[in-house]
Amino acid sequence: MTLQVLAFALAALLMLGGAAVVALTKDLMRLVVGLGVFLLGVAGLFLYYGHAFLATAQVFVYVGGVLVLVVFAVMVVHRASGGRPIVASRHDIGAAAVAFGVSGMLVMSLRGSVGGWLPAPGASGASIAEELLGGHLVAFESLGVLLLVALVAVLVIIGSGERR
Amino acid sequence: MTLLWGFLWGVAAVATIAGGAILGVWWERKVSARIQMRYGPQQIGPFGSLQMIADVPKLLFKEDIVPALADKAIFKYAPLFVFGPVAVSMVVIPFTAGWAPLDTSVGVLFFLAVPSIEVIAILLSSWASHNTLSTLGGLRATAQMISYEVPRSLAVLAIVLLAGSLRPLDVVAAWRWWWMPLTFVAFVIYFIASIAEMNRGPFDIPEAESELVAGYFADYSGMRWASFMMAEYGAMIAASLFGAALFFGGGWPFGGALGVVVLVVKAVLIMTAIMWVKWTFPRLRQDQLMSFCWKVLTPLALVQLVVIGVVLAWL
Repeated sequence: MTLQVLAFALAALLMLGGAAVVALTKDLMRLVVGLGVFLLGVAGLFLYYGHAFLATAQVFVYVGGVLVLVVFAVMVVHRASGGRPIVASRHDIGAAAVAFGVSGMLVMSLRGSVGGWLPAPGASGASIAEELLGGHLVAFESLGVLLLVALVAVLVIIGSGERR
Repeated sequence: MTLLWGFLWGVAAVATIAGGAILGVWWERKVSARIQMRYGPQQIGPFGSLQMIADVPKLLFKEDIVPALADKAIFKYAPLFVFGPVAVSMVVIPFTAGWAPLDTSVGVLFFLAVPSIEVIAILLSSWASHNTLSTLGGLRATAQMISYEVPRSLAVLAIVLLAGSLRPLDVVAAWRWWWMPLTFVAFVIYFIASIAEMNRGPFDIPEAESELVAGYFADYSGMRWASFMMAEYGAMIAASLFGAALFFGGGWPFGGALGVVVLVVKAVLIMTAIMWVKWTFPRLRQDQLMSFCWKVLTPLALVQLVVIGVVLAWL
């Protein structure tokens, strides 16, 4: 039991520490490291709940895919500027307010559904696939479209910055 | 107790890779020398096998140089995260029928997923050096590693489809000898993609010494440099063991301790082939590398999958 508590504490620590780094640091590369630590913490949490498949997929897709994409974006956008890429924002307080607002909104909307649908611990990849591609197919696919839209939006924003 | 075992397995994995790297470097020196009609190391110990005992302390005692403009924390600790995932991926290898250090239902996926942490570490270490050549090498390494992950995973998927399980032990248990001709193309794809994943010749474009000095680890020295090398040899050992276990039935036709020996022999043969490829073919160009991945290997892997699907339906 104590070992499980320890594992949970470790996962929580990784997530909280990573999130704190992401929120507080100005150095873009350290921010990416923080994000990586956070994502690994999430994988640890999945493992704690007995979803080995989900944890592995988390590392595969998020650490191996999304994070690499972010680092690539940072490196490509900040080419030949000399110094280290820094997050320069004049809207610290506004950004914090938006972040708190969005997380509050998420907590409020998810509070009701947490516990309603959770696959049994140790559920295989097949049962997760059945849930995602069965009852939750529309939500699953629209999330994919949302990600695509976000990606295109980022490219458009970067492109318009270059023209100026 | 579990924690203690986990710790012991970690130590065992690191020791295996370190020892394997030492033996591997010696073996590679011998193999490359023979390919180039030389003798290779022969002065120290029988067949020069004690040469590495002189080389390891040299690496340990070399000055540890950190560039003035480097991002110190990331520069210093990123090499650990290049080496760590390789050691971690060793634990799911089914060494013999019915025994793997860590028996998990997603072992195959685990083996494929964990090296993606290495990609991030390579990218960060190359960037932290604050050196254009390093950064360029890191970008090349990343592009190469995430591209070749696709055909590599597809090739392994062929075996997973046949076995009907992601658990390495189940795959070894379900393995039949006629899978070898059936999945030969998949094995060749796995072999090539694995070489590309470990950034070895002829896919060592990220470290091309004639244009990028040494690529992403150009600014590293001493033991930090050695951890990149250990990661490369570790990846070679892990990929060979895993390939031998999945594509050649692990310890087949033996079980138990003899199975482990057979697996290691098969893996050494694969490793020798990897070295043979490195010392035979010239380095590819970046665009050749990418088009080979996306226009040859990936479609070929998909065709192999279709073939497996047809065979499965016919069985």
